[in-house]
Amino acid sequence: MSSSSGQSSGYDLSFKILLIGDSGVGKSSLLVSFISSSVEDLSPTIGVDFKIKTLTVGGKRLKLTIWDTAGQERFRTLNSSYYRKAQGIILVYDVTRRETFTNLSEVWSKEVELYSTNQDCVKILVGNKVDRDTERAVSREEGLALAKDLGCLLLECSAKTRENVEQCFEELALKIMEAPSLLEEGSTAVKRSVLKPKQESQASQNGGCCS
Amino acid sequence: MEPHASSFVSKARTAFHSAAAKAERVLTDFKIDLDSDKQFHDDDFGMQRGDESARSENESKFRNELKHIKWRPPGIGTKQDWQDRINNIRKGRKEVEVTDKVGDVNVGSVPFYDENLYILNVKNDLDAKASEAIPTVEGLTAATKHPIPPSSVLKQLAIAIEAGRQTNSMKDFVASSPAREKAGLSISSVKALVLREKEDKLTSEFSSDEKVVYLINSLFDQEGEFLRRKINSDPEETSISSLPRDIHGAPPESLVVKLAEVIGNFKTLRGMSLFWSRVVDELRKHWSEEKHLLGVPPDDIPDLKSCLLYQQFQVINCCISRKRRHIIAIESLDSMVMEANSNTSDSANYMGRIPTSPLLYARLRTGELVLRLGADCPSGDLTLLETGEPAYSPVTQEGPLLTEDLIKETEEFVLRTGSVGAGCSQLLSDMQAFKAANPGCILEDFVRWYSPPDWMESEGSTEDRDSFYGGESMSSRGQLSLRMQKEGNLWRELWETSKSVPAVKQTPLYDEDLAVEGILDAFEDIQPSELYRQLFVSLLGLGFAIAETMLSGDIDTSKLFNDCKEYIVTTSQSDGFHEKVNELVQMYETVEKMLLNPDKALKMMKHMEESTMTTDEPKRRFSTGEPKHRFKRFSHIFGGKDKLLTPVRKDEVNDEEKQIRHSFSSFFDSKSSLFSKKPPKPGNLYPGEQPLSLERLDSYLDKVQFHPI
Repeated sequence: MSSSSGQSSGYDLSFKILLIGDSGVGKSSLLVSFISSSVEDLSPTIGVDFKIKTLTVGGKRLKLTIWDTAGQERFRTLNSSYYRKAQGIILVYDVTRRETFTNLSEVWSKEVELYSTNQDCVKILVGNKVDRDTERAVSREEGLALAKDLGCLLLECSAKTRENVEQCFEELALKIMEAPSLLEEGSTAVKRSVLKPKQESQASQNGGCCS
Repeated sequence: MEPHASSFVSKARTAFHSAAAKAERVLTDFKIDLDSDKQFHDDDFGMQRGDESARSENESKFRNELKHIKWRPPGIGTKQDWQDRINNIRKGRKEVEVTDKVGDVNVGSVPFYDENLYILNVKNDLDAKASEAIPTVEGLTAATKHPIPPSSVLKQLAIAIEAGRQTNSMKDFVASSPAREKAGLSISSVKALVLREKEDKLTSEFSSDEKVVYLINSLFDQEGEFLRRKINSDPEETSISSLPRDIHGAPPESLVVKLAEVIGNFKTLRGMSLFWSRVVDELRKHWSEEKHLLGVPPDDIPDLKSCLLYQQFQVINCCISRKRRHIIAIESLDSMVMEANSNTSDSANYMGRIPTSPLLYARLRTGELVLRLGADCPSGDLTLLETGEPAYSPVTQEGPLLTEDLIKETEEFVLRTGSVGAGCSQLLSDMQAFKAANPGCILEDFVRWYSPPDWMESEGSTEDRDSFYGGESMSSRGQLSLRMQKEGNLWRELWETSKSVPAVKQTPLYDEDLAVEGILDAFEDIQPSELYRQLFVSLLGLGFAIAETMLSGDIDTSKLFNDCKEYIVTTSQSDGFHEKVNELVQMYETVEKMLLNPDKALKMMKHMEESTMTTDEPKRRFSTGEPKHRFKRFSHIFGGKDKLLTPVRKDEVNDEEKQIRHSFSSFFDSKSSLFSKKPPKPGNLYPGEQPLSLERLDSYLDKVQFHPI
């Protein structure tokens, strides 16, 4: 069954990932860096955007649909619908701006609790812009403490230098695969998509076109 | 053999005489030619002549004629046979001749008469019990003295879920399904019209029923006392609130739960469906009168952890609140503009504001005063860069109210098209509102309000900043972030496109009327299994939520309760919900027994513990072929339940099982919706090997409904 569906769709599991955090922390840069190794500057996201990436983790071929959200307060309500059925959520802060770190516990973790419909969803804390070490305002120890409070991993990275960028998504994927209910959802999504080959193809193409 | 044959002949003769007499009248009135094809044509033509009363009479005769033609014993139907028969009738042959003809009728057609008679009896029984099928407000109110709703209510919803899976439309429960007609188009058209009239009549009769009116009024009563139960949620509020949401039900005391309890008390599927139609009518009335639904929050965004029905009720209430606010805002803005105009005409000079006026003005660089439109409140200490005036946060449009089905659609749309339309529309709307509230503003002002991280003050050293994240300071007052300055930035393009329009005057981002009409239309077209599943889960959640509080103090029963609770949470979240409905009902019955007969429940638990400790017992149970469940301990529960209950109340268990079995089997065996209204008695099921009989049965039912014999 798994082998058969894998052959027809090109991957074994399909997961939905959500990127959240204050505006300007580098969510879009992080995603673009992961998808295409690009480090160019990006206009502020308006509303929501998404990209699709396939990779192999733990011997499994994964399709990740990664939703990138605008961090401005005004867009919160609009983007709250994308929390639905997300298997993984990445909470991003800027290590050079303490406010973005504080807002993770005061704002964004509350958003997750309010809008996420997936009890088992895996969260990961990501501190971005570590290449600007001289301006660091949040220590790694503080990040680890918050990660412990939220019950998730911490990874510090730099979208600019691509340090730890791939690790962020791979660690998250591994954690998702460890949860039986999420694993089941991931394979269910693949089975459904096999029945809609055209839509799948379009989605992939659109993913590639978006920038 | 002889008496049996005599009985058949007697019934056949009666039916045949009646048919023959009617056929004679039809033939005389229409002067039908012997040719059967032309016969139909003449019938149609004849119906169009004469006055209205004559037409009505002709219609009745026409139907008799149709019935007569339809009823043909196998092997008899050729033109020659018809001609012979008609000739014999015209010649007025003696009765003995007719008797001889009857003798030729095949035996296969004789049971048809019995079926007809049986259907008549069933129909009479249904009519007689019609008044009993509608629950009363008094009865429901009395039931609230029980700690949780009776399991019979949940069982009725389970039956409806199963029946609903056979059809896509609630209307199928209200009227008989139309027989497949191979006759001319005109006949089909007439039949469709008659069926529609029948549906309308049934619906209006049901709606005007005294009990139904009282039920509707109580359900939507603004006092909210109807079906209220004592839920002691103070000590364990958290645990109480989690269960209904874990199973995607509805909050206790909500309108959905009360609706589930009312509909579950109807005895017939038709009654349940008709009541739902009545509820939808009442919802339309509330919407048109802008009256909030009680038992639903008046202004909350949809709770995605509750069932879709509850979310949709939330949207209706929220849209009512928004419409009210919108009307107030429009009137406020219009009066403000009117006042500004009158002020302008009164005093020609623009020097200083009129002290008594609440109007807000902004002075441009040219010194001109411009009225602020849609200004909400000062935006902190922000001042506009070019004019120095205080910056005001504008009133903005409220976001969309997305239920889970619309969220899924939106997400699929974005995935398919790559569209960021919703975000851009909102951003454009906010820019226009900001311009209206802050005359003389520039994009930098908007960004400082909307996206503070994208504004960089000029103070501080700039040498350490990398080009990747920041930018060199070129202005004494600060500047946009590098990413915002980027060429082709959509924000600037939107800013230059936007006009100065306050939010209340803009094209709505979210159309409340459209949204609620969509929901009400969805209610009318809802699939039965989808509706009843949500009501079932909501009622299940209520029962368990109440029981959890009542049993929390008892250590012995709470263990069993928690097992049941865990099972229903897991089952409700799984894909195989429909296959597990009966098991969920049994779980509910177990909890019901725990509340009503704690001692017996304790005995059950002890028995289960003994079973669990025995190593041989589980193996033997598995070897008997009992279906395996997700959790081994639940097979113990079921096994223990069966063992314990059978000796104590064998008759009751058997009756319940029979009832369920017959209810379900009737749906699979019968094509007629009449059977879905009332399960046939044991032994009266019609085998599937006689499709012809069923076809005739459908045909006959149409005739019976139109003109009872």
